[in-house]
Order: sequence, then structure tokens, then C-alpha cells
Amino acid sequence: MARILDLHLHSEASDDSRAPVEAYLKWLARKRDERPIEGLVLTEHRQFNRAADYRALEDKYGILILKASEVETDYGHMLVYGVNDDILARFDFRNVRLNAQELINEVARMGGIAMPCHPGRPTIGLIEHYQKKPPLEGVVGVEALNGGSKKGEDERVAGLVQAYGYHAFGGSDSHLVSFVGLCATEFDRDIKNIEELVEALRTGGYRPVDFRPKKPQPSVTPEGLTYGAGL
Amino acid sequence: MNILYFEDIEEGDEIAGLDLFLSKDLVRRYARTANMYFPRFTDDEGARAEGLPGMIAPGVMSMGLLARMISDWNRAATIIRLGTTFRNPVLPDRMIHLRGAITQKNEADHTAECDLWMENDEGERWVVGTATISLPTKL
Amino acid sequence: MALDFDRSILGQVFDETTFPPVTKEEILEFAAALGETNPLYTDEAAAARGPYGGLVAPPTFVTKLRAKKFMPEHLPRFGKTGFDAGRDLEIYAPVRPGDVLTMASSIHDIYEKTGRTGSMYFIVIRNEVRNQRGEKVAVIDHRIMQR
Repeated sequence: MARILDLHLHSEASDDSRAPVEAYLKWLARKRDERPIEGLVLTEHRQFNRAADYRALEDKYGILILKASEVETDYGHMLVYGVNDDILARFDFRNVRLNAQELINEVARMGGIAMPCHPGRPTIGLIEHYQKKPPLEGVVGVEALNGGSKKGEDERVAGLVQAYGYHAFGGSDSHLVSFVGLCATEFDRDIKNIEELVEALRTGGYRPVDFRPKKPQPSVTPEGLTYGAGL
Repeated sequence: MNILYFEDIEEGDEIAGLDLFLSKDLVRRYARTANMYFPRFTDDEGARAEGLPGMIAPGVMSMGLLARMISDWNRAATIIRLGTTFRNPVLPDRMIHLRGAITQKNEADHTAECDLWMENDEGERWVVGTATISLPTKL
Repeated sequence: MALDFDRSILGQVFDETTFPPVTKEEILEFAAALGETNPLYTDEAAAARGPYGGLVAPPTFVTKLRAKKFMPEHLPRFGKTGFDAGRDLEIYAPVRPGDVLTMASSIHDIYEKTGRTGSMYFIVIRNEVRNQRGEKVAVIDHRIMQR
């Protein structure tokens, strides 16, 4: 059972991450006070990791582990929760030019939910596409807090959420072990499995939560620094 | 001089960070010694002609600085693998912050996996990576 | 999909370059340019008493090797501009003054993604570096992004 879930992260199953799932879990166990994450959703790039079975790890670490996908569409990247055989038969997740409207409609019809991630990001985020094309039908919520965002990218999402009445969620988008759970989503209800997650995401009652430390930058001046001996 | 053995480090430990002012002269010096004396790494106008906002530091310079962070932190660590992703052009004439953490220890061969990254003052991670280091043991 | 090329090119060595002997000065300057203070890379006398019995190059020294031919001749271009997207470096043996290094380059992989700047094509060039004794020194996977 989990109320606070990191809805967006990549394990070594993704092409650009080397993080084993167990390393994520050990990191969370160690950082429990700072990042009270109760569930992880592995959103592997352009694939669904059908073979992976994380039940033993779930039991060992007491953290819910769910599987999902991050795919690429003509309206930017989307997270697909509740992936099943029908969805995989209908869409080739390796295709980096999926039709977003089709994806949203069909995934919903087949029992899942497709939600835009990092909408404030250039090219692969929803906002830029909304400036050039009609808005999508059937979008329920967007990732309003993403651990990989640059300055300004998440700030742009507030206007989108307000204008379209979208729900907002968060995820770390971690590719490195130590970034797991820095951004997450808090639900009003307990989530026990992927069906409940899809249902909760569809109906609302959740919000992004930010566990990033507010770190003070070192108060040194450039003149006070040396680059190293011999310089 | 700092020497840390395999037994001295724990998963979750931070690697002592480096905060540097990356001047244009330092980037040019690196570009010269690394056979990369190209306009994008040496002058603003040349870089703009290539569509960049100004001169940038070579990705491999960031990689070298991340390796230096490990060497400064622990003289006894030997890097046996270092992987880096250059997510954003590194613009000089500003502070850069190099950071790292030990994420996994492997008892069988006395190696450790590390997360490494370089961020700017805003906390944007311009370069991210991982390394495998080999450490001496007290046994 | 727009990713269309002859996959038989993968794994074929398209360049082999042998470099002039590595000099002590080159190693010292490379270390200094990174602000290294580790005596293994900066102090010949101290390094002689260390684990390698002499001066060695910092781990990323091999990234400065430039192949004669950077890309195979017949590889199509997937975009107008190219950027260095990253490196994966595996290190097997130290580089010392006097070493004569040879680098063999092949295309390891080509794939497509979308990112902040649009469609991106990644070309991974695998560079295998050996020394004059034929020992494997390093493997450098160089990811180049074209768009």
C-alpha cells in the first residue's frame, strides 16, 4: 500500500540508465527520513518491461513497485500506466512518432492511461505543441514536477494546469540511483496495484511533492577559488 | 592526502564535491592540450557561428573534472569505468559544482559504483554519469 | 522510421590510427589542464614510489586521441549538426610516457530518440586503444548526436 509514489523513473532496463532497481530501493531505505517514498513506478523508455518480476524486491524492502512506460509522440513524451497486451498489440512503443491523440484514446479504451510528462520542456513537452496545434482531447493530468527539469520548465506548467483543468503529478525522472524519489506524487488514497493507480490518476485526488533539499550554494567568490595546484 | 579503503566507505556516502570557477582561459587551455582547439571551445563568435549561445567547454573536460573529483576525494581509488552524458552545453565564466555519491559496494571484487554529476548555481545538472572504482582493502 | 542505413556496417573497423609516443610533458600538461594534484599524474619522483612505479596519465587522457578518420566514409548523415552526447570509458591498463598507442574505431550502434531539440540520431563510435605490447588500454564509446 502506498500513498506517496515516484511516478517516473528509469532502471537499467532503459537504454540511458545503469541503475538497478534494488539500488534504488536501498537508497530509499537509507534516505527514508528525507524522501518518504512508498512506491516506485518504473517507466522504461520506449518499451514495457513485461518480463521483470519485482515481487521479491517489494517484499524485501516494503516498497510497492509498478511497471509502466515512457513513449514518444507528436505532442511530446507521455507516460503510459496500465500497459497490457492489448495496448502493446496496438502500439509499437519503439516508434518515436506515435500519434498522441490515438495513444490517449486507445490506451484509455483498453484500460490504461497516457499522461504527458515534463510538459514545459522544449520539443518533447506538451506546452510547445499546444502553441502550434489544437489541444488534445482526453488529457486528464500532466507531470507538473519533474526532477530532470531545467530552471523555468516546471514553472511554465502552472498556467497549463490552470487553463485546461488538468490534474498535476510529479516524478523524479531519475536515471541515477541517488536521484530516486526527489520528486513524487502524493495520493489521497492508498494504491495497492497498477489498476488502482490508473483509477486514481483518472479520478484525481493527488498532487506533486518535492523532496529536493533546499541547498545553499557555497558562498565563495570566483576570486577566492583556485583551480588546482600549478595554475 | 586522503586515502580511503573499501572498508571506509558506505553506500549512501557523498563524494567530496568540487566547486570551481570555470574560466574561458581554463577551457581554452584544456582544448589546446586535448587536441580540441576548435572555435566552439575557444571563442564566443566562432561558437555562435555554429549555433551555440557562446563558447562551451568540451564534454570530455567535464568528464575529466569528474574524474579529478574522485582523485581529490580519495587518492586510493582507481577508476575502472566512467560513463558520462553531456545533457547540456557547459558554458564557461561561471561557477560549476561537481558532486557524487557511492551507490553500491561490491564485496566480491572491492569495487564501488558511484553517481557523478556537474550542476550550475541553479541546480541544473548539465553533465551526469556513473563510475566504477576499485579500492584497496585492509584485509 | 527515418533511421535507414546498412546495418552490416556495425562492428567493422573503419579506422586504425597509431599515435606518436606519449610524452611526459603531454601527461603533465593534460593533468594540469584539469587541475589535477594527484602525484601519480603530476610528480614523477613521487609517482615512482607509488603503485605504478612511475608517472601515469589521468584516466580520461585517452579521450584526447583523434582518429585519422572520425566516421566511416559511406555512413549517411542523419542531421545537419552534430554534438558530443557523451562517453563511456572502460579502463584496462595505465598510459605511461613512451607508450605508443593505437586506436581502432568501429560503429557500435545507431539509434533514434526525441529530445529537447527534436529528433535526435545517436551514433556510437567504439574506439579500442591498445599499447605497443598489444595490451588493451581502454575502450571509449563515443556517442555523437546528430539532428
